[in-house]
Amino acid sequence: MVNDAKLDKGLLLILRIGAFLCFAGWTWAHLYWQGPYGAILWHDSMYELASNLGVSWEEFVGTGANDGFVQKGLSVIGWLYLACTILCLTIRKQSQLQMMGLLAGGGLLVILSYAKYLGAQQQLPMFVEHGGQMLMPVVLVLALRLGVRHRLTVAAAMAATITTFIGHGAYALGLWPTPPNFFGMITVILGVEYGTAKAILHMAGLFDIIVCLGILIPRIRRSLMLYAAIWGLLTALARPVAGMSWDLNYWGADQFLHEALLRAPHCLIPLYLFVLWKQRDEVSAKDRTQLPSLAPTGVPTTARSV
Amino acid sequence: MKLLKLLNLFCIALLLASAVEAQNKKRAVLTIPEVENQDIICFALYTVHDKTLKLTAQLYPIPSDMTKTVRLEVKKGGEWVEVDRTDAIEAGWTAPFRVENWDDSQAYEYRVLHGTEASYGGIIRKNPVDKDEVVVAGFTGNSIHPVHGGDISRQDIIDNVKAVDADVLFFSGDQVYDHFKHYAAWLKFGRDFGEIIKDRPTICLPDDHDAGQANLWGESGKVSTLKGASDGGYAMPAEYVKEVERAQTSHLPDPIDPHTIGQGIGVYFTNLNWGNVDFAILEDRKFKTGPAGRVPKQGPRPDHILNPDYDPASVDIDGAVLLGERQLKFIDEWTQDWSEADMKVALSATIFCGGAHIHGSANGRLHADMDSNGWPQSGRNRALEALRKGFTFHYAGDQHLATIFQHGIDEYRDAIWSFCVPSIANLYLRWWEPLEPGLNREPGAPEYTGDSLDGFSNKVTNFAAANPDKEPAGNVLNTRSAGFGIVRLNTSSREITMECWPRNVDITDPSAQQYEGWPRTISQFDNYNPPSWGSLGKLTFDVENPVVQLVDAKTDEILYTVRASGKSFTPGAPKGRAFVVKAGTDVPDQLVSKNSKVGSKAKKVTLK
Repeated sequence: MVNDAKLDKGLLLILRIGAFLCFAGWTWAHLYWQGPYGAILWHDSMYELASNLGVSWEEFVGTGANDGFVQKGLSVIGWLYLACTILCLTIRKQSQLQMMGLLAGGGLLVILSYAKYLGAQQQLPMFVEHGGQMLMPVVLVLALRLGVRHRLTVAAAMAATITTFIGHGAYALGLWPTPPNFFGMITVILGVEYGTAKAILHMAGLFDIIVCLGILIPRIRRSLMLYAAIWGLLTALARPVAGMSWDLNYWGADQFLHEALLRAPHCLIPLYLFVLWKQRDEVSAKDRTQLPSLAPTGVPTTARSV
Repeated sequence: MKLLKLLNLFCIALLLASAVEAQNKKRAVLTIPEVENQDIICFALYTVHDKTLKLTAQLYPIPSDMTKTVRLEVKKGGEWVEVDRTDAIEAGWTAPFRVENWDDSQAYEYRVLHGTEASYGGIIRKNPVDKDEVVVAGFTGNSIHPVHGGDISRQDIIDNVKAVDADVLFFSGDQVYDHFKHYAAWLKFGRDFGEIIKDRPTICLPDDHDAGQANLWGESGKVSTLKGASDGGYAMPAEYVKEVERAQTSHLPDPIDPHTIGQGIGVYFTNLNWGNVDFAILEDRKFKTGPAGRVPKQGPRPDHILNPDYDPASVDIDGAVLLGERQLKFIDEWTQDWSEADMKVALSATIFCGGAHIHGSANGRLHADMDSNGWPQSGRNRALEALRKGFTFHYAGDQHLATIFQHGIDEYRDAIWSFCVPSIANLYLRWWEPLEPGLNREPGAPEYTGDSLDGFSNKVTNFAAANPDKEPAGNVLNTRSAGFGIVRLNTSSREITMECWPRNVDITDPSAQQYEGWPRTISQFDNYNPPSWGSLGKLTFDVENPVVQLVDAKTDEILYTVRASGKSFTPGAPKGRAFVVKAGTDVPDQLVSKNSKVGSKAKKVTLK
């Protein structure tokens, strides 16, 4: 029981770190750079909506000398992300308000992902691949509220993994046009030609789909989650590794580092599942070896929620 | 678990279904149509320079059971004669031909043939050296998106180009906006414009969108991995970029300096001499440094400066490249070479300043945009210093906003003029609207004209801007300032006339109106005539149109080289400096005077 409690704390810590890094990355993206809302905000229909609400053109977009609703709204969103980042550290099981706040942060990530989806000319994988990030705060809240082993927590984590990897896989396999930086990162990091980079991407895309399907097969899902965690880590780190350089201001860290941070859920959610299932499998194996002497009828002595 | 399984299956099914649907949607807009064997040649582009014909035939995909060999025939003495044959290159299905010792003194009918059925023909024009006026129709930004009129027929452009019988077509960039399907989009471009392209020399410059990215700082072929590509380099794989350049530029005259850049990407900067007008075809994106991580952050994007109080010198960093040494060397040599040339015109993707203040479909004031050639300032000044030495007129596009600027380096109006043409269909609106009215405006001219500093503190003088309607501009082409440019280069009077036409007008109709500020006519010699200069003594020659060169007597640096108009020429020059004056019929190889200064006496010069 002592070990279980220790492990539960560890699992919760993984999820907490995942959510913290994700929100921290996006906070940097919003406050230091700009949020990806151009496709939503700089749109005639958005102006029409504002106009119907009695907001003038100048009030809506600013005059150039001052900021309009658009610019002011964007800066507020960045501070909301910062609040969510802090919440990831402070949130406790007893605080419903903080949990609501973090879930609202998940809502912000949904809006952001939708904006990126629109910006990518409505490519579905662009929205789907953000599933891990969108669900990260949800998984953390469920873990706090219901427990790290509760079936809903685990189901949410699995859904997060599935959406992330299926989105990535769809791009990597070329079902949608593969984002050119996928090729660029492989080329720069591994020093390979386009043909090899393409082959590597296809292979990775195939594994992404295998992860999505295999996660539902108990016999192999643990191994697949280990692969997914490593692959998630590598793809997140690929941004700064490919882009940073000693020649750049701050070595380019301000450009690329947050790109790795905000992708932390791609690694840490599968890691959470791997650790959880590893322990469960080990317990099951132990139970099996002990069962003949303890429970001759073959009935398991413990029932777990997953 | 059942729920998860269902979710999983739903996700996969949704993705697959959407993939099909997305492709269907794209097919409706941008597709590679299946054509009969007889129609397999889509269009053909060509140039003739220095007695060499280069023609690239653009084909639809050739079925695997058919030959890839494509032939070029020319009609001579009533008979078709094969002058070249080549195998189509599968990546992009281009068939580039090259015919040396081309007789450009007369026009020839040509036809491109494939197999036994396919034939596509046009006319290789004669070099219009006997014409007083060379007409160049200029275009940029060929969006095909219906949302802002991109799907509207280009027939008006076809009709107008035919009506003015343009001698040269210049597509300055963004012929293709699809970032992943250049081949399909290029075929559509050919279907839209092939009717005018097939009969006259055509210059295409692939710009950022053609290369598959929204902005392009090529940085000599680096790989870009940052979203937005402001870290410099090419975002798309090199194979894609090479295919794009092969399709759009393989028919241009041979590159001056053909060494490849990073990733094996080629270069195409060169010159085209046609009708005694010498065009420099520049690559203003290929060598340019990316700003991300190089310049101090000044806004929400590495390439945007929002803070009007920033120090412009802080972004003019050491080592930042615009045209690069190889191109500057080319321009330096090109401005000195006046063989068979009366006028010089530089063609590039965009202009040498930040040519807009407000960007986007809304009121987004942007102090400075490093995607423009206003940055890096030192590189911009070096380019202008090089170009003005040949009294070069600059013709470009890219901005989505038609403008006329005269550029300044040390003082206002001391460098070349530029004409940025409007977009064929305008994807993204921009406005030229300085916060302070321009100084030294012409009487009655709008407040946005006149002398002002751009966002990089470059000196510019605006003479016209076809600003679109201010509020969300709807879907009509002309409220979004779409259109095209016509430049008339009169090699006899040495005048340059810029015309800027909206879409869907008949430009031969006397009642047809150009955008406000056009037409405007300048002299070739206005391209290097700083207000602070004075005049040397008038030179009178015994030959028509000699080439004159001024060299600083102290530094040996060439001030300029130009072909004079007629038998006399009054050289302009800075006050207080002495110049060696040289002249010649085609090459300035004879010494006229060793120590000429402003106010020196007139002189008769014998060159025969």
